[in-house]
Amino acid sequence: MSDDNNVSATLAAATCALLGASAAAPVMAEEAERWSFDTALLYYGESDDRVQDVSATIGAQRAFEDERLLNLTLTADTLTGASASGAIATDTPQTFTSPSGRAVYTTPAGKAPLDDTFLDTRFALNVGWSQPLARLYTLSAGLGFSTEYDYTHLGANVSLARDFNKRNTTVTAGLAYSEDDIDPVGGAPLPLSQMLDVGDQSNKRTSDSKDVIDVLLGVTQVLSRNTLLRVNYSYSQSSGYLNDPYKILSVVDGVTGDAILRTPAPGVLGPTGVYLYEGRPDSRAKHSLYAEMKHAFGAPVLYGSYRFMTDDWGIDSNTTEVRLRWPVGDTSYVEPQLRYYMQSQADFYHPSLVQGAALPAYASADFRLGEFDAVTLGLKFGHRTMGGNEWSARVEYYQQSGTIDRDQLIGNQFAREQVPDLKAVIAQFGYRFGL
Amino acid sequence: MSETPPQSASITLGREAGHWVGRFMAMASPCEVLIEEAPAALARQIVDVAAGCAWRIERKFSRYRSDSVVHMIGSNAGRAVVLDEESAALIDFAATLTKMSEGRFDITSGVLRKAWTFDGGSVVPTQEQVDALMTRVGWHKVQWRKPVLQLQPGMQIDLGGIGKEYAVDLAAARIEEISPGSSCLVNFGGDVAVRYPRRDGQPWRVGIEATARAGAAVHVVHLSRGGLATSGDSRRFVLHQGRRYSHIIDALTGWPVPDAPHSITVAADTCTQAGTLTTLAMLRGRESESFLRASGAKYWIQG
Amino acid sequence: MKAFGLFAACLALQGCASVGVEPWQRDVLARPEMSLDTNPVDAAIDDHIYFSKEASSGGRGFGGGGCGCN
Repeated sequence: MSDDNNVSATLAAATCALLGASAAAPVMAEEAERWSFDTALLYYGESDDRVQDVSATIGAQRAFEDERLLNLTLTADTLTGASASGAIATDTPQTFTSPSGRAVYTTPAGKAPLDDTFLDTRFALNVGWSQPLARLYTLSAGLGFSTEYDYTHLGANVSLARDFNKRNTTVTAGLAYSEDDIDPVGGAPLPLSQMLDVGDQSNKRTSDSKDVIDVLLGVTQVLSRNTLLRVNYSYSQSSGYLNDPYKILSVVDGVTGDAILRTPAPGVLGPTGVYLYEGRPDSRAKHSLYAEMKHAFGAPVLYGSYRFMTDDWGIDSNTTEVRLRWPVGDTSYVEPQLRYYMQSQADFYHPSLVQGAALPAYASADFRLGEFDAVTLGLKFGHRTMGGNEWSARVEYYQQSGTIDRDQLIGNQFAREQVPDLKAVIAQFGYRFGL
Repeated sequence: MSETPPQSASITLGREAGHWVGRFMAMASPCEVLIEEAPAALARQIVDVAAGCAWRIERKFSRYRSDSVVHMIGSNAGRAVVLDEESAALIDFAATLTKMSEGRFDITSGVLRKAWTFDGGSVVPTQEQVDALMTRVGWHKVQWRKPVLQLQPGMQIDLGGIGKEYAVDLAAARIEEISPGSSCLVNFGGDVAVRYPRRDGQPWRVGIEATARAGAAVHVVHLSRGGLATSGDSRRFVLHQGRRYSHIIDALTGWPVPDAPHSITVAADTCTQAGTLTTLAMLRGRESESFLRASGAKYWIQG
Repeated sequence: MKAFGLFAACLALQGCASVGVEPWQRDVLARPEMSLDTNPVDAAIDDHIYFSKEASSGGRGFGGGGCGCN
């Protein structure tokens, strides 16, 4: 048939003869909305007036022809409140120089010292692109940028996926690189240097940086009509300034375990104890093995994941997460979520340092490098509207319980609670819609 | 037209995401009917009718069944057979497609499947093998004077390229008869027909199966009325001397069509029209897109 | 541990050829909630929170981070 213009007419006539006239109504079809949005408002609040975070995220996705996909994610969050500085609690009030080096603050007796000057607004933008490359290949690439008053992050990643076995198996390999600049309030303290009096900035550098390389290898496998498994191995190498510039360690008496007292220079304000800024190694290599599975039991869907991580700082961690998405009626679902996390402490984790003893090469009292377990209990509710949009609400409770090795506690430290539990509530509201 | 009593045991009916979903297997494909806002009894009746249509067409036109019309025609090759009205209408329709495709589409080309196995490998038959089979291919060798059909000895026919889409349209029409105006989506193995938008005025959202991949989002088409069909060869193809040959055989050459897209999805007034357009376009090989563009149909191609 | 991981991956790939479904059996897997990235925003929020409170990050995708919080 050389005249293509007649194809539709000839075909319509032939179909009419076959099916009768009953079906003769013009088609109404179009591609689904091209832009879809996924938005969320989040509140994160720790107990005892510690860190509070309010954040808003807008994710936008635009589908183009031939399965090309553009992803944009914009996040703004505001952090307020205090976080543990790493210094031990003592029976007397303690005074510290604030990170700016221009003022002091005091922690009451018996309380874990918190650095309450914590206030930060962060903006982050991520752009991702993915497209088929050859028939069975998918190429993805992304750029990320975020900025805070003391921190700038710039990252790029690229990954290639290939399908095998009737697209039942997908193998992915990816590479990411990021470079972060740290410009802490009052400068970046030299590792393991002592906290000085107000006005003395001799142990601070203006800024520092770190870079991170990530390699990811993954396999996604369809196990059955209703079961999907993904296994990832990832390697991450960080180097540069890996300290938290606001974390410190108390120097204590080797017998009593009490903080060594110190008197500021005459006429100036300054710390009333001997505190050292933490010093972490300037490189870190992490290996993770991650597996997740989804299984549909009829309408409900069970998700389970497990991650093992080990690094050359001596930290091993195990993470298990389970979620069960359970339909309620025809348009809603509830999803209970449970996560359990446990980590061992870093080799250089010290709750305090002993006066007179040899200074270790590296030391940190950051609770995040100590040994702890964490449990997250959550419940999500989602509802699809008549228009095909979806809103959801999620509430989670997160609790960390730390343990300090008894060998690392000294004298009076046994009687004091050194690592108070961290308890946080997370509330999130989300709305998804298309244009 | 007497319909096969539904084998109710193999139909499942349930509610999902705000509508009824009836599922069953027919024509080697998973089939489903989505129904909005109907009492359970009516939903059941609608699914039974759709399954009845699918099973009846399968039984009547399957080339694998010894009691099918297709088998009866093949086993009587060389003799004239008188066809019933429905079979005759399908043969007529196929003859039109043969004319429209200048002989590339041909319901007698099924015997070539003996030579071609489409498993993604690179084993191709010899030209002699193809030539030998080609003596049994060609609509021009057939005598067709509706309703009398006479094949030459050794010839066969295969309605596989039309039957499923026809069954979808038929099922949609039968549903309209028993429950006029009800909003349903009929989907037999990815070939879809819709008569009305959803109750809230929103279109039905249909994922294009050929692009589906584990763990990834699918391409979604909004369909308020009409048919949607996909012809794909993501797994059924032959590699020969560096070229990819699709699973669709050009009846003029006896060879599969080279350089055709991996998958073509077309939306048209009926599912039969949509399916026919995907097949005719596939037969054009690398010219498939210009063919579809000229036809004025809505289409989605994966290269 | 790493050697074991690679070994497991090889085994998995070998076994893959016989595991899986045909294209027409993808009805359940095609449901949006069966996608491994059903809730990218939830996942990003979780990653961010845990990154700032724990010593481990990433695993599912790239290591998270990009934040002065750790």
